[in-house]
Amino acid sequence: MPGYTLAGIGLRGVVSALPARRVNNAELAERFGAKALADITALTGVETRFYAAPGETAGDLCLVAAKRVLANLGWVPASVDALIFVSQTPDQRLPATACTLHAALGFSPSCQAFDVSLGCSGYVYGLWIGAALVNAGCRRVLLLAGDTSSRMVDAADRSTALLFGDAGSATAIEADPSAAPAHFVLGSDGSGAAHIAMAGGGFRDPSGVETLTMDGGEVFGFTLRAVPQLIRSVLERGRHDVCDVDIFALHQANRFMLRHITKKLGITPAQAPINIDRFGNTSSASIPLLLCTDCSAQLTQAPQRLMLAGFGVGFSWAAASFDLPRLTCAELIH
Amino acid sequence: MTAFYDGLADILEVPSATIASNLSLTDHNWDSLAIISCIALMDECFGILVSGSDLAKCTVVADLEALAPQTVSA
Repeated sequence: MPGYTLAGIGLRGVVSALPARRVNNAELAERFGAKALADITALTGVETRFYAAPGETAGDLCLVAAKRVLANLGWVPASVDALIFVSQTPDQRLPATACTLHAALGFSPSCQAFDVSLGCSGYVYGLWIGAALVNAGCRRVLLLAGDTSSRMVDAADRSTALLFGDAGSATAIEADPSAAPAHFVLGSDGSGAAHIAMAGGGFRDPSGVETLTMDGGEVFGFTLRAVPQLIRSVLERGRHDVCDVDIFALHQANRFMLRHITKKLGITPAQAPINIDRFGNTSSASIPLLLCTDCSAQLTQAPQRLMLAGFGVGFSWAAASFDLPRLTCAELIH
Repeated sequence: MTAFYDGLADILEVPSATIASNLSLTDHNWDSLAIISCIALMDECFGILVSGSDLAKCTVVADLEALAPQTVSA
C-alpha cells in the first residue's frame, strides 16, 4: 500500500476522559439472557463500559481532556494553530463541534477548527491530518477524538448494545525539527459502507431510524483482509520488523479479532495491549484511551516505537508509526 | 483438517467425534457469533478468507468443506 513519511512531527502528550457511569455486564444480563451474554462476552471481551449521561456529549468529554493536556504541557490557548475534532457523534448538526470547542478553549481567531467524520480509523486519520498541518506550517495542533456510541445503538441489538462505550481524548501535536520521521498508510473501501451504518437522520432519510446496524461477519472479514496488510505496509515504510516495535496500539474493536490479527502477524500479547474488557469499543477514542491506560507507564517513562492502527466504519483504515521520546503525559481522567 | 474439525466442534459446542459432512449447522448455534469464529478458523487452518455472507448460506458441514475443497479433501 502506498503511504506517507512525514518529518518534524512531535507528539507531546495525550489525555483521555471517561463519563462517570460504568455499566457492567451484570446490568445487561436480564435483557439478553445469561447464555447469550456469556457467548458475546467470550467473543468481544467486553466486561464493562462507560456511558455518557443524558446531555453529555463527545465534545464535553474531549473538552475535559483538552483542558488537562493543555495544562500538563503549559500550552497557552493562543499558541494552538489548529483544532481537529474527530467523531461520528458530534454535539450538533451545525456548527462543527470543533468551532464550539474552539470557543470553550479560548483559542485565537487565527486557529483553524474543523470536524472530521470518521469512527474507528478516525484517530490515526486525525494524527495524519495534524501532521500534514504541521508540515504546512502550523506549530501546534490539538487533536480531539471522541464518541458517545452508546447513543447510537439499539438497546435490544446484542451485536452492538454490549460492544460500545463512550470516551473522549485530546492529543497534542507540535512541530519538532528533531523528531524522527513518522510513517502513515491510509485507505478506504466504500463498497463496505452498508456493513456498519446508521442510515437515518441524514438528509437522504431525515426521518429514518437513527440506530447503528453492523454485520459482524462482514466487518470481521474486512478486518482480516485489510489490517494485517496495513500493518505490514507501515512496517515496510519504516524498514522495521514486528519485533522492532515496542507498542502496537490497535483500535479496540473486539478481543477475539485483536487476538487473531496479532497472532497472524506474530505480535506478542505484551506488544499489543488490550483494554476492551474495561471500556468496550470506544470508536475514535479507543486508541488514545489505550495509550492513556495500558500504555501510559511505558510512554511516559522512556522512548518508544509506537504503531497505531485504526479500522472499521467506512470501510476505512489507517496506521502510523512514530519513534517517540518520552511523552509528558498519557493520562486518564475519570 | 483435524484442527479445523476440532475448532468447528468448539464453535458448534458439540463433541469432535460428531463432526461429519452431513451435520446440520443450523441445528447447532450457527449464528453471527459462530460465523465470525468460523472466519477466523478457516483463516487459521487454511489461510483463506471466507466472507460472512458465504458462511451464512451454509447449512451443513459439507458446505463449509466446499469453501476449502483442496485442503479439506487432501
